[in-house]
Amino acid sequence: MNWIAVGLAKDVPPGVVIPSRIEDTEMAIWCTPSGRYHAWSDRCPHRGMRLSHGFVRGETLACIYHGWQYNQTGSCDYIPAHPKLTPPDTICVPTYTCVEEGGVIWVSLNSVDDPLPVLGARVPVRSVPVSLSAKDVAAHFGAAGFTTIAVVSDYDTLLAVQPCTDTMCVLHVLAAPDADRKEVSRWVEDLRTTLEGVPA
Amino acid sequence: MSAAIDNHWYPVAMISGIDAPRETLLLGKKIKLGREDGICWVKDASGTPLPTVERFGHLWTSPGQPNRDLFTIPEADSPGRRLVDVGSVKVKCSPLRAVENFLDIAHFPFVHTDILGAEPHTEVDRYDVKIREEVDEVWATKVKFFQPQAAKSAAGGITTEYMYRVPAPTCSVLYKTCPPRPGEWDIITLFVQPLTDEWCEVWPWMALYDDDSTMSEMVSFQQLIFMQDRSILENQLPRKLPLDPGMEVPTQADMTSVAYRRWLKKIGYTYGAQLVAA
Amino acid sequence: MILYDYVLSARCYKVRLMAALLGAPLTLQAVNFHPGREHKSPEMLVLNPNGTLPILKDGDTVLTDSADILRHLTSDHPEWRSADDDTWLAFASNLNDSLGLARLHDVIGYAADIDTARTAGVTALRKLEAHLTEQRFDDLIFLTGKAPTIADIACFPNTALAPDGGVSLDPYPSVRLWMRAIRSLPGFIEMPGIHRLHELAHPA
Repeated sequence: MNWIAVGLAKDVPPGVVIPSRIEDTEMAIWCTPSGRYHAWSDRCPHRGMRLSHGFVRGETLACIYHGWQYNQTGSCDYIPAHPKLTPPDTICVPTYTCVEEGGVIWVSLNSVDDPLPVLGARVPVRSVPVSLSAKDVAAHFGAAGFTTIAVVSDYDTLLAVQPCTDTMCVLHVLAAPDADRKEVSRWVEDLRTTLEGVPA
Repeated sequence: MSAAIDNHWYPVAMISGIDAPRETLLLGKKIKLGREDGICWVKDASGTPLPTVERFGHLWTSPGQPNRDLFTIPEADSPGRRLVDVGSVKVKCSPLRAVENFLDIAHFPFVHTDILGAEPHTEVDRYDVKIREEVDEVWATKVKFFQPQAAKSAAGGITTEYMYRVPAPTCSVLYKTCPPRPGEWDIITLFVQPLTDEWCEVWPWMALYDDDSTMSEMVSFQQLIFMQDRSILENQLPRKLPLDPGMEVPTQADMTSVAYRRWLKKIGYTYGAQLVAA
Repeated sequence: MILYDYVLSARCYKVRLMAALLGAPLTLQAVNFHPGREHKSPEMLVLNPNGTLPILKDGDTVLTDSADILRHLTSDHPEWRSADDDTWLAFASNLNDSLGLARLHDVIGYAADIDTARTAGVTALRKLEAHLTEQRFDDLIFLTGKAPTIADIACFPNTALAPDGGVSLDPYPSVRLWMRAIRSLPGFIEMPGIHRLHELAHPA
């Protein structure tokens, strides 16, 4: 597995942190006030609290539990309980390779140099969770893999599929720049209904 | 399950809340409890009666053979205190995580903002922690922290002094500066019923000096505080409490939790604990 | 105005939040809903025969429905009202019967068909997400427009508290940004389970 879409840039504006996951790897995805995206292990090394519940302050991500702040390399640089202490370098959060390209936030868990998926002129519309595995979604379209799947529609749609669990994945939907986004949004709702096999 | 786990007393109900017989879980096993002619009873799944103690407004039982009486809180008996049944809240976390969070003060400014703590008053001064071998309990003393509203009875910000006591693996007692009566301690407890090793029912109970607040106000205050903790407790990974060093990074402010973890390991209390780093 | 209040009630929180955002003074009267069942006491039943919370007493007026109370509080604040509010006040009631019920089940052991409650909650969240996503296409962040109305205040609590009932909010980006916009409003107050935006604090 190389690049996986974990969110849309417009859904993670500067100063925001969200939870995301690629299979068993749970991540905190956040954007610094200056617009840099990061994907980190979703766990504060101090007491195991999910960092995705935390807050962005300045160019740091802070844990909601005790306010420990981590700088952009993932190193802890402030512990509020000990304001005068310089935290040792050993306190750091595992980080993953993360880039924003074409309005999509991409993560690679194995730091490969593969090129990013080609999106063409398409623009992001929305992300939609589906109660199916990524494999099942790929199988539905007869696709070999699920990184991106072009789906025939009136909108030149492309799905970037994020595998989450055996019963859940997220479809990040891109479409032609001139497509009516509300129509695309409703199209993907219908697609989800079809995929999940629930009668409308 | 080992005797090190079974032979403790566990809270399973608030006595004033027992009406019809009902089922609950203790250490992953079904038990049934009820009251007849004013006497509370507990039975295991096969109908065998289990030992009971009625104390601190709660019903306690044990699936094993406790080798000592349930702990006491002599200070709670002094006249003038109001005894507060706070009721229970269920939490999807290890019972040990729930106790450890109760022993922690450094989270006050971020989780109980403007009540038990507030930025920039985040510093935790050194305090004393000891495993008192003679009673086999963990104690932390001389714990001090600035609090904007330490209790329902507090009029404004004060530096509060705390003592923490862990008299049983899933119970903790907090002695805290009493705003209306300097020199006395308010008593706030956290009694945790381990439903399973990753799911618990928490029964806070209090013995306070407070002549002004209504009972409902005191209950509300403590429920507010605990529910602020609940969203933390349900989002710690792993859900079990790591007892081996290496998986989590303590600082000086965490001396109580370090001692608590060490004590659990020493007495072999591993229910809800994670022993090997995953 | 007196609010008969339970600190963990999502419906009572709607009233506290609305009053805080309006800067309207509210006297809180704590009711021991759990474990005391004080809302079913004879004294409370005189005030509200249905035995529910919240209850708002404003002079001789006694209101017991949270939607009615929101309308009452904003009767002189047209900026907090929109033509679409009624639809969303009804939707808020669905959220209460699904996500709200799941929460009471998980937190204080209310009897409920938990799977049904959670499934209905997810269905409601998907509807909310779809609507808020379409709003964002038009650069509107709130349910009925550019500014918040009682629709937002009615729907916010049970949505934000969904994780208390075992329903994840992780996969709903538009819902998350909407909640963030509400939490950023001047005068916003939190309740247990809904943290404030600490990034807004600027400590010394």
